[in-house]
Amino acid sequence: MSSDEDESMSEQEEQTKSGKEDNGSVLDYIMSLESVPSKLPPHLELLKTRVLCKIDAPQHTDTIQYSGAYAALGVDNSIRLDNFRQNFKVQVNRLTEDDIEFDMIGIDPALANAFRRILIAEVPTMAIERIYMANNTSVIQDEVLSHRLGLIPIGADPRLFEYPENAGNEKNEKNTIVFKLHVRCERQQPRITVKSNELKWLPNGSELPSEDIKPNSSSKPKTFTSFSCSQDSLPEFSGNPIAPRNLDIILAKLGPGQEIELEAHAVKGIGRTHAKWSPVATAWYRMLPEVVLLKEVEDELAEELKNKCPVGVFDIEDIGKGRKRATVARPRSCTLCRECIRGGKEWEDRVALRRVKDHFIFTVESTGALPPEVLFTEAVKILEEKCERVITELS
Amino acid sequence: MDPQPEPVSYICGDCGMENTLKPGDVIQCRECGYRILYKKRTRRSKFCYL
Amino acid sequence: MFSVGKQLPYPVVGDAGIDKQFLAAPIKSAVDKFQLLPEFLKVRGLVKQHLDSFNYFVKTEIKKIVRANDRIVASKHPNIYLRFKDVRIGEPSIMVDGSPEKITPQTCRLSDLTSLINKQGYSLDCAVKLYSVATWKYAAPILVNVEYIQGSPGQMTRVEKNDVVIGRMPIMLRSCCCVLYGKDEAELAKLGECPLDPGGYFVIKGTEKVLLIQEQLSKNRIIIDTDKKGNITASVTSSTEAIKSKTVVVMENEKIWLLLNQFPKKVPIMVVMKAMGMESDQEVVQMVGRDPRYSSLLLPSIEECAKSGVYTKEQALEYLESKVKKSMFITDSSEKEGRAYSVLRDVFLANVPVHQNNFRPKCIYVAVMMRRMMDAILNKDTMDDKDLFKTMISEAKMWIDKFLEKNNKTSRFDFSHVIPKPLLAVQWSACDNIEYISRDTITNGLERTLSSGNFDIKRFKMHRKGMTQVLTRLSFIGTMGHMTRVSPQFEKSRKVSGPRALQPSQWGMLCPCDTPEGEGCGLVKNLALMTHVTTDEEEGPLISLCYYLGVEDLELLSGEELHTPFSFLVIFNGLILGKHRRPQRFATSMRKLRRAGKIGEFVSIYVNEKQRCIYLASDGGRVCRPLVIADKGISRVKEHHMKELTDGVRTFDDFLRDGLIEYLDVNEENNALIALYEGDATAETTHIEIEPFTILGCAMGKQAMGNIAYNQLCRKDTLLYLLVYPQRPLLTTRTIELVGYDKLGAGQNATVAVMSYSGYDIEDAIVMNKSSLDRGFGRCIVMKKKAVTIQKYDNNTSDRILRPDRTADNAGHMQILDEDGLAAPGEIIRPNDIYINKQSPINTRTQIIGSAANLPDSAYRPSREKFSGPEGESCVVDRVILCSDKNNMMCINFLFRHTRRPELGDKFSSRHGQKGVCGTIVQQEDFPFSERGICPDLIMNPHGFPSRMTVGKMIELLGGKAGVSCGRFHYGSAFGERSGHADKVETISETLVKHGFSYSGKDFIYSGPLGVLY
Repeated sequence: MSSDEDESMSEQEEQTKSGKEDNGSVLDYIMSLESVPSKLPPHLELLKTRVLCKIDAPQHTDTIQYSGAYAALGVDNSIRLDNFRQNFKVQVNRLTEDDIEFDMIGIDPALANAFRRILIAEVPTMAIERIYMANNTSVIQDEVLSHRLGLIPIGADPRLFEYPENAGNEKNEKNTIVFKLHVRCERQQPRITVKSNELKWLPNGSELPSEDIKPNSSSKPKTFTSFSCSQDSLPEFSGNPIAPRNLDIILAKLGPGQEIELEAHAVKGIGRTHAKWSPVATAWYRMLPEVVLLKEVEDELAEELKNKCPVGVFDIEDIGKGRKRATVARPRSCTLCRECIRGGKEWEDRVALRRVKDHFIFTVESTGALPPEVLFTEAVKILEEKCERVITELS
Repeated sequence: MDPQPEPVSYICGDCGMENTLKPGDVIQCRECGYRILYKKRTRRSKFCYL
Repeated sequence: MFSVGKQLPYPVVGDAGIDKQFLAAPIKSAVDKFQLLPEFLKVRGLVKQHLDSFNYFVKTEIKKIVRANDRIVASKHPNIYLRFKDVRIGEPSIMVDGSPEKITPQTCRLSDLTSLINKQGYSLDCAVKLYSVATWKYAAPILVNVEYIQGSPGQMTRVEKNDVVIGRMPIMLRSCCCVLYGKDEAELAKLGECPLDPGGYFVIKGTEKVLLIQEQLSKNRIIIDTDKKGNITASVTSSTEAIKSKTVVVMENEKIWLLLNQFPKKVPIMVVMKAMGMESDQEVVQMVGRDPRYSSLLLPSIEECAKSGVYTKEQALEYLESKVKKSMFITDSSEKEGRAYSVLRDVFLANVPVHQNNFRPKCIYVAVMMRRMMDAILNKDTMDDKDLFKTMISEAKMWIDKFLEKNNKTSRFDFSHVIPKPLLAVQWSACDNIEYISRDTITNGLERTLSSGNFDIKRFKMHRKGMTQVLTRLSFIGTMGHMTRVSPQFEKSRKVSGPRALQPSQWGMLCPCDTPEGEGCGLVKNLALMTHVTTDEEEGPLISLCYYLGVEDLELLSGEELHTPFSFLVIFNGLILGKHRRPQRFATSMRKLRRAGKIGEFVSIYVNEKQRCIYLASDGGRVCRPLVIADKGISRVKEHHMKELTDGVRTFDDFLRDGLIEYLDVNEENNALIALYEGDATAETTHIEIEPFTILGCAMGKQAMGNIAYNQLCRKDTLLYLLVYPQRPLLTTRTIELVGYDKLGAGQNATVAVMSYSGYDIEDAIVMNKSSLDRGFGRCIVMKKKAVTIQKYDNNTSDRILRPDRTADNAGHMQILDEDGLAAPGEIIRPNDIYINKQSPINTRTQIIGSAANLPDSAYRPSREKFSGPEGESCVVDRVILCSDKNNMMCINFLFRHTRRPELGDKFSSRHGQKGVCGTIVQQEDFPFSERGICPDLIMNPHGFPSRMTVGKMIELLGGKAGVSCGRFHYGSAFGERSGHADKVETISETLVKHGFSYSGKDFIYSGPLGVLY
């Protein structure tokens, strides 16, 4: 099929037709750019800017970045900053408290991917790292309970804290958040479920003595933290106390007579060290789907095509005289299930599924420590820092 | 001679009663006579790995 | 066997008012008979073969055994005797301070003090004392009512005593003697027991022991075979309550000989016949059959007999007397009668009884054996294939009964040999004879046997090793599998292929898939889901029923009449009853009686046309399974029956009683035509399978980690693996639900990408997502047990535990110790940490001067226990269990817990045997992601598929994906598509498409490092 198409495309008379069939305006837009010295032949342009999603595998998935890739045709393929400046666009489609979906247009997959990777692994958050277990007579083991506590998203802005390494592993009010959890199920009482709302913030730091208490010592016993002032008194936290982001996460269940008493210390970290520090549930993108009808699909076939697609990409329009024609109504919702091209070669010839290589529909699902839009800007900042580091090291 | 160690309390496996045992005592719950006792959990707070 | 009070047979055609034509018409759609399975398992349970056998033993067999050997007579004083009148098993208990204290299985699991007892170096006195208190096994007293003679020779009085303890019997969990019997879930939980645990094992010395189901050749049946030299033999392994013997008749050098252990050399069969009173050669020939071919084969043997000059019974006995092995049976009676005579009566074909010296049944039996042999010589087809299941019986019947038989015998010998001696010694004083009953012989013998698994029964020449095994508690399903395992009679190392092959007759009885790899392959088998193993059934009523139904008694038949044409021999449990002239009619009426519930449901009636015999069987150890009866191919189970079942008005037993379902054993299956599905039934079909997947067993995936039991955290296993977050499978099967695997699952659902990635996935290695591991995927808990005993020594010294010295050099390693010198639960323990600060006295042999408690410190040497584990691995003290007996011998059990996340080199497997080690762990951002942001937990190499052809796994991948997208558990039961117990691939594909996935389950994914579509 592909060779067929290539052949037909390469023929000059087909050129106008191919222009018509990209109902996406991006290709036209690129074609009309002044800075492009001369145009690539349409078939090469197609392979350069689109991923062809065939029934069993995608084709031409790679991006052609080498500046001289089309030198033989007299086409300059170098990347230019002003081009990028002009063409790059971001459109926010959806923004809620927890997630954001936006289009990123005119960017290389490598860069889009860098943001994704940074979001997952390098944007810091606060997460519980150390547990001081004073008592745990529940059925859940200490380590398992600690692990569960660690995965709780903490609703604290990590930008207000320092990495613990910076303070020489001394735990002070600038790098540690201390929570206390003390639940007890009394005898003759029904079982209780311990949820994350039981985690109580201790703005003054740890209350547990780090050494055996000597009864005669009148001084305050040494604890696991050394706070110089209460976090309460800091302006950032005075109005909004720190708490877990979700208050209904089940931590443990207690039977009559069982008790959990512990102190949890949250510190700043990044997702690469442990997934609990990852600020996103997940962050990903997909390339903009492009669905093209290569032939007119009419009447029963149109009906069939419309019914084939489980997500309703296709629609039917009346072309008069009781005849119907299939149109591509919602290409964005295409999930690449390839149902429309499943029924044999004739269907593969009718419909082409493509992806636009430089248009990304980006989704960020935040765990809640920071709003999703802030997360993305944080990711941009981190990439910036990285670039600067490279530049300074090179110079 | 060693000073007698302080008695440590143990929990009955059946009724949950706390029993204190001295060296040489029979391992048996004073309340229900059950013969399996468990040692109580430590109160020493300790650091847990994740 | 006619049962009283049973319901009358349900009218099969229905009430008179209902349109008969409608009822007689073939039903349109197949009835979903699945509901029968949970009902069946509710009645029977998965380990019923163990429980049934034990219950039968405890209720019936033990009484029979005791009755068979009830009188013990002092050899020198024949009028002094002891007689057992009755025997029963009491409640499980332990003797504490001489009084019984009730125990539960969980208590026994948690306390194992017997490790002390096995230690050497106690004085006898001490050991005996200890023994009586410290055996923490789950056992109940064996109580007998006795009658005995007491007093001096002059004035002897007869004394009766009830409920005398003669030993302690280990009790099988959930059997009728067990405290768990008939308890509901809440009561079980209260006793610390898991409601899903099947029982069927023993608790001895704190460990759980299973008696494996043994497979052996059927007893009391004639088996035609060839020996090593190629001679045709007919052998019978006879087994009665009193004796077990093997009789072999062999055709060698054209003559027929008898091989019997009591005769060192083979003896001519004709001499034996003559010794049994068959003096006329003509009668022998008639008995074998008048066909000249038989006579010509018999002729050399007759000549041989004549050559030896044996013509009369007396001559024959004289001849045999010279051949009989000496030193056998030196009882008075045998001396009188002649040894050969008693051997012939008691040992030779012991299963054929001799009443009032009537040897005729035995003669006929020998004749039938010879006839079968000659058939085999004349026509090789009639040879029995020994490997064929037909002649193999799974002797699931607990071997304990055999064993106990022996033990009671030994105890009898003990009585007869031990008791009189002290009696004589004390000169018939007023001593109570009963005091001399040795309790320990039976108790020790049983315990030793069950804990070592070695069965040595000298009288039966039986030496078997590994009969019991420690119950595997790796996973719940592994435990189930262990309970249904059938161990072979052959040596595992034998390089034979015949017995390893799957026999067609095993269909539905043994799982065709579940067998180990390697040496046990094909020999170690597993019972299928619905297999039932029979127990013995009363023979007398059945035999008389046969005579009522027209069986002509052997006694009334001349040799000539035995083999008249059109008449079949009727053989009941290997015993020839007589002949019947209308065999089919006889078989049909017997079956009708069985279906009506008039005779036991496990009685098998099998018409063998080739051998011209009807085999009836009611003995124990046969495997059988329930099937739906069909009349002319129409199932008797109708829709309304199933509705009644679901409404709870009808039980599985009602189905049996109403003749809708019956049990068929392997032999009777030969007379049946069984349709797999109702739709496949033709007019000849006699039975329909209840559910086709029940031909499979229930226990693959034994090593899978997950849950053990509901009480897993209260148990005390030496090694225990638990999954932190076990899950139910998204693609489940009906079997999983039936067995309870969905309640105590093992394993986790993973998002799997089947693709090649990074090159660290060659040779079945898998690539894992680090973030998934961070979030708890595959996290597991390993529990290890360490037991420390505080020993007491002969010289009254004992070990002691000291308070840790906080100032000592090794105080760093003693930080986790409490003031009592024991590690505290919840403490993190590192390698070389001391968990018990124990000291042992240096002098443990000689008596010490002064009080043992005031021994100076210098008399002790430290014997601290150090924790050994891999460096860098931190464990936590999970529990410390203390228990002791009245002698204050303390046993301290430490349980150490280690929670570990998967690392490089850990083995993972899917449910299709596609195992692989973890090759590398990769960050989530480097992992591929799909169009909708799904990131897999692990990546599997697709090269594992083509050669393994695990189509089931492909279906599971699809079904799991569909299940997770539509929020419904999908099913993948074997053979389930037709009966609706498995989702078809087509419907799964439709679900996938509906949710926007490709019908094939394939997704386009983006590369993690590059960000482009792959």
